[in-house]
Amino acid sequence: MHNHMELTFSAVAQNEAFARMVISAFLMQANPTLTVISEVRTAVSEAVTNAVVHAYGAQGGNIVLRATLSGSRVDVEVEDFGCGIADIDQAMQPFYTSQPDTERTGMGFVLMQSFMDTLSVHSAAGNGTIVKMSKSLEEQPS
Amino acid sequence: MTVCLSGEIDHCVCESLRGEIEALLEDAGITKLVFDFSDVTFMDSSGVGLIIGRYKTVNARGGVTSASGLHPPVDRLFRLAGLHRIIQIEPSGGQTNTCTTTWN
Repeated sequence: MHNHMELTFSAVAQNEAFARMVISAFLMQANPTLTVISEVRTAVSEAVTNAVVHAYGAQGGNIVLRATLSGSRVDVEVEDFGCGIADIDQAMQPFYTSQPDTERTGMGFVLMQSFMDTLSVHSAAGNGTIVKMSKSLEEQPS
Repeated sequence: MTVCLSGEIDHCVCESLRGEIEALLEDAGITKLVFDFSDVTFMDSSGVGLIIGRYKTVNARGGVTSASGLHPPVDRLFRLAGLHRIIQIEPSGGQTNTCTTTWN
Protein backbone atom coordinates (compact mmCIF):
# COMPACT_ATOMS: atom_id res chain seq x y z
CA MET A 1 0.00 0.00 0.00
CA HIS A 2 1.20 3.48 -0.84
CA ASN A 3 -0.86 6.42 0.27
CA HIS A 4 -0.07 10.07 0.90
CA MET A 5 -1.90 12.91 2.63
CA GLU A 6 -1.12 16.59 3.08
CA LEU A 7 -3.07 18.99 5.24
CA THR A 8 -2.56 22.70 5.93
CA PHE A 9 -4.02 24.26 9.05
CA SER A 10 -3.56 27.36 11.19
CA ALA A 11 -0.88 27.33 13.86
CA VAL A 12 -3.28 27.59 16.77
CA ALA A 13 -3.42 25.43 19.87
CA GLN A 14 -6.89 24.10 19.04
CA ASN A 15 -5.39 22.32 16.02
CA GLU A 16 -3.03 20.20 18.11
CA ALA A 17 -5.84 17.75 18.87
CA PHE A 18 -7.04 18.03 15.27
CA ALA A 19 -3.60 16.99 13.98
CA ARG A 20 -3.60 13.99 16.34
CA MET A 21 -7.02 12.90 15.10
CA VAL A 22 -5.93 13.22 11.47
CA ILE A 23 -2.75 11.16 11.84
CA SER A 24 -4.60 8.51 13.87
CA ALA A 25 -7.32 8.21 11.24
CA PHE A 26 -4.77 8.07 8.42
CA LEU A 27 -2.85 5.26 10.14
CA MET A 28 -5.93 3.14 10.74
CA GLN A 29 -5.91 1.80 7.15
CA ALA A 30 -2.58 0.07 7.95
CA ASN A 31 -4.14 -1.58 11.01
CA PRO A 32 -1.30 -0.85 13.46
CA THR A 33 -1.50 -1.66 17.16
CA LEU A 34 -2.90 0.88 19.60
CA THR A 35 0.60 1.28 21.03
CA VAL A 36 2.01 2.26 17.64
CA ILE A 37 -0.84 4.69 17.00
CA SER A 38 -0.28 6.22 20.44
CA GLU A 39 3.42 6.69 19.76
CA VAL A 40 2.94 8.34 16.36
CA ARG A 41 0.19 10.65 17.57
CA THR A 42 2.34 11.70 20.53
CA ALA A 43 5.26 12.50 18.22
CA VAL A 44 2.97 14.48 15.89
CA SER A 45 1.46 16.30 18.86
CA GLU A 46 4.92 17.35 20.02
CA ALA A 47 5.99 18.56 16.57
CA VAL A 48 2.77 20.50 15.97
CA THR A 49 2.89 22.00 19.47
CA ASN A 50 6.47 23.15 18.87
CA ALA A 51 5.32 24.90 15.70
CA VAL A 52 2.31 26.48 17.47
CA VAL A 53 4.43 27.70 20.37
CA HIS A 54 7.63 28.76 18.63
CA ALA A 55 7.20 29.37 14.90
CA TYR A 56 5.06 32.46 14.72
CA GLY A 57 4.44 35.55 16.76
CA ALA A 58 1.12 37.27 17.07
CA GLN A 59 0.67 37.38 13.28
CA GLY A 60 0.20 33.61 13.17
CA GLY A 61 0.77 31.34 10.19
CA ASN A 62 0.24 27.86 8.82
CA ILE A 63 1.43 24.37 9.61
CA VAL A 64 1.57 21.59 7.01
CA LEU A 65 1.18 17.97 8.12
CA ARG A 66 2.21 15.35 5.58
CA ALA A 67 2.14 11.59 5.98
CA THR A 68 3.02 8.78 3.61
CA LEU A 69 2.21 5.13 4.13
CA SER A 70 4.55 2.77 2.31
CA GLY A 71 3.84 -0.83 3.17
CA SER A 72 4.32 -1.11 6.91
CA ARG A 73 6.16 2.19 7.28
CA VAL A 74 4.90 5.71 7.83
CA ASP A 75 6.83 8.89 7.06
CA VAL A 76 5.59 12.07 8.67
CA GLU A 77 6.54 15.70 8.10
CA VAL A 78 5.47 18.72 10.11
CA GLU A 79 6.44 21.99 8.42
CA ASP A 80 6.05 25.59 9.43
CA PHE A 81 7.13 28.77 7.68
CA GLY A 82 8.02 30.77 10.77
CA CYS A 83 11.11 32.02 12.53
CA GLY A 84 13.15 28.83 12.18
CA ILE A 85 15.67 27.40 14.62
CA ALA A 86 19.08 29.10 14.78
CA ASP A 87 20.82 26.26 16.65
CA ILE A 88 19.22 22.88 15.97
CA ASP A 89 21.66 20.91 18.14
CA GLN A 90 20.86 23.10 21.12
CA ALA A 91 17.12 22.89 20.48
CA MET A 92 17.31 19.09 20.48
CA GLN A 93 19.13 18.85 23.80
CA PRO A 94 16.93 17.14 26.40
CA PHE A 95 15.19 19.64 28.67
CA TYR A 96 16.42 22.65 26.67
CA THR A 97 13.72 25.26 26.16
CA SER A 98 13.95 28.71 24.65
CA GLN A 99 11.12 29.72 26.97
CA PRO A 100 12.42 28.91 30.48
CA ASP A 101 9.89 31.25 32.09
CA THR A 102 7.03 29.08 30.86
CA GLU A 103 6.24 25.48 31.75
CA ARG A 104 7.70 24.12 28.53
CA THR A 105 9.73 21.04 29.50
CA GLY A 106 12.14 20.83 26.57
CA MET A 107 11.06 17.22 26.10
CA GLY A 108 9.41 17.54 22.70
CA PHE A 109 12.30 16.26 20.59
CA VAL A 110 13.13 13.63 23.24
CA LEU A 111 9.66 12.15 22.89
CA MET A 112 9.77 12.33 19.09
CA GLN A 113 13.07 10.41 19.15
CA SER A 114 11.77 7.91 21.69
CA PHE A 115 8.51 7.16 19.93
CA MET A 116 9.64 7.19 16.29
CA ASP A 117 12.39 5.23 14.51
CA THR A 118 14.02 8.22 12.82
CA LEU A 119 13.91 11.97 13.38
CA SER A 120 15.56 14.80 11.49
CA VAL A 121 15.07 18.53 11.79
CA HIS A 122 15.71 20.92 8.91
CA SER A 123 15.65 24.59 9.72
CA ALA A 124 17.44 27.91 9.50
CA ALA A 125 16.76 31.21 11.23
CA GLY A 126 13.99 33.00 9.39
CA ASN A 127 13.28 30.13 7.02
CA GLY A 128 10.84 27.89 8.85
CA THR A 129 11.27 24.35 10.11
CA ILE A 130 10.58 20.87 8.78
CA VAL A 131 10.50 17.95 11.22
CA LYS A 132 10.77 14.60 9.44
CA MET A 133 10.01 11.35 11.25
CA SER A 134 9.46 7.76 10.23
CA LYS A 135 8.33 4.60 11.95
CA SER A 136 7.69 0.98 11.22
CA LEU A 137 4.06 0.18 11.94
CA GLU A 138 4.94 -3.34 12.99
CA GLU A 139 5.24 -3.20 16.75
CA GLN A 140 8.80 -3.87 17.88
CA PRO A 141 9.54 -5.87 21.04
CA SER A 142 10.33 -3.46 23.88
CA MET B 1 -6.94 17.91 47.17
CA THR B 2 -7.60 15.53 44.32
CA VAL B 3 -7.71 16.76 40.74
CA CYS B 4 -9.43 14.28 38.46
CA LEU B 5 -8.26 14.80 34.90
CA SER B 6 -9.95 13.38 31.85
CA GLY B 7 -9.64 13.36 28.09
CA GLU B 8 -6.56 14.67 26.32
CA ILE B 9 -4.00 16.72 28.25
CA ASP B 10 -2.05 18.76 25.72
CA HIS B 11 -0.65 22.28 25.37
CA CYS B 12 -4.04 23.70 24.44
CA VAL B 13 -5.78 22.22 27.47
CA CYS B 14 -2.94 23.01 29.86
CA GLU B 15 -3.20 26.72 29.14
CA SER B 16 -6.51 26.92 30.98
CA LEU B 17 -6.06 23.96 33.32
CA ARG B 18 -2.95 25.51 34.87
CA GLY B 19 -4.78 28.62 36.06
CA GLU B 20 -7.72 26.64 37.37
CA ILE B 21 -5.56 24.36 39.53
CA GLU B 22 -3.36 27.22 40.72
CA ALA B 23 -6.49 29.09 41.85
CA LEU B 24 -7.47 26.09 43.96
CA LEU B 25 -3.94 25.87 45.36
CA GLU B 26 -4.16 29.44 46.63
CA ASP B 27 -5.49 27.82 49.78
CA ALA B 28 -2.14 27.48 51.53
CA GLY B 29 -3.56 24.73 53.70
CA ILE B 30 -3.42 22.30 50.82
CA THR B 31 -0.29 20.25 51.30
CA LYS B 32 -1.39 17.05 49.57
CA LEU B 33 -2.19 17.16 45.88
CA VAL B 34 -3.32 14.07 44.01
CA PHE B 35 -3.71 13.90 40.23
CA ASP B 36 -6.10 11.14 39.18
CA PHE B 37 -5.31 10.11 35.59
CA SER B 38 -7.86 7.29 35.40
CA ASP B 39 -9.86 8.99 32.64
CA VAL B 40 -6.94 10.53 30.74
CA THR B 41 -6.76 9.18 27.18
CA PHE B 42 -3.73 11.15 26.00
CA MET B 43 -0.95 13.28 27.46
CA ASP B 44 2.17 14.81 25.95
CA SER B 45 5.07 16.85 27.33
CA SER B 46 2.80 19.83 27.99
CA GLY B 47 1.07 17.71 30.61
CA VAL B 48 4.43 16.91 32.13
CA GLY B 49 5.09 20.64 32.46
CA LEU B 50 1.71 21.08 34.11
CA ILE B 51 2.47 18.40 36.72
CA ILE B 52 5.98 19.71 37.44
CA GLY B 53 4.66 23.24 37.86
CA ARG B 54 2.07 22.20 40.43
CA TYR B 55 4.62 19.95 42.16
CA LYS B 56 6.79 23.04 42.64
CA THR B 57 3.90 24.97 44.16
CA VAL B 58 3.04 22.21 46.63
CA ASN B 59 6.65 21.28 47.35
CA ALA B 60 7.48 24.90 48.23
CA ARG B 61 5.07 24.65 51.17
CA GLY B 62 6.42 21.28 52.26
CA GLY B 63 3.62 19.29 50.71
CA VAL B 64 3.41 16.13 48.68
CA THR B 65 2.20 15.54 45.12
CA SER B 66 1.08 12.12 43.95
CA ALA B 67 -0.56 10.54 40.93
CA SER B 68 -2.94 7.65 40.49
CA GLY B 69 -4.65 5.77 37.68
CA LEU B 70 -1.74 5.91 35.23
CA HIS B 71 -2.52 4.02 32.05
CA PRO B 72 0.52 2.56 30.22
CA PRO B 73 1.07 5.49 27.77
CA VAL B 74 0.93 8.05 30.59
CA ASP B 75 3.07 5.84 32.82
CA ARG B 76 5.66 5.63 30.04
CA LEU B 77 5.67 9.42 29.74
CA PHE B 78 6.15 9.74 33.51
CA ARG B 79 9.18 7.46 33.32
CA LEU B 80 10.74 9.22 30.33
CA ALA B 81 10.35 12.56 32.08
CA GLY B 82 11.65 11.26 35.41
CA LEU B 83 8.43 12.20 37.18
CA HIS B 84 8.56 8.97 39.18
CA ARG B 85 11.45 10.50 41.10
CA ILE B 86 9.46 13.45 42.43
CA ILE B 87 5.83 12.35 42.23
CA GLN B 88 4.51 9.53 44.39
CA ILE B 89 2.70 6.96 42.25
CA GLU B 90 -0.27 5.35 43.90
CA PRO B 91 -0.96 1.78 42.77
CA SER B 92 -3.76 1.19 40.30
CA GLY B 93 -6.91 -0.54 41.40
CA GLY B 94 -6.81 0.99 44.84
CA GLN B 95 -9.32 3.28 46.38
CA THR B 96 -11.58 5.46 44.30
CA ASN B 97 -10.56 9.08 44.64
CA THR B 98 -13.07 11.66 45.73
CA CYS B 99 -12.48 14.49 43.30
CA THR B 100 -12.05 17.97 44.65
CA THR B 101 -12.32 19.12 41.07
CA THR B 102 -12.87 17.39 37.76
CA TRP B 103 -11.54 18.81 34.55
CA ASN B 104 -12.51 17.66 31.09
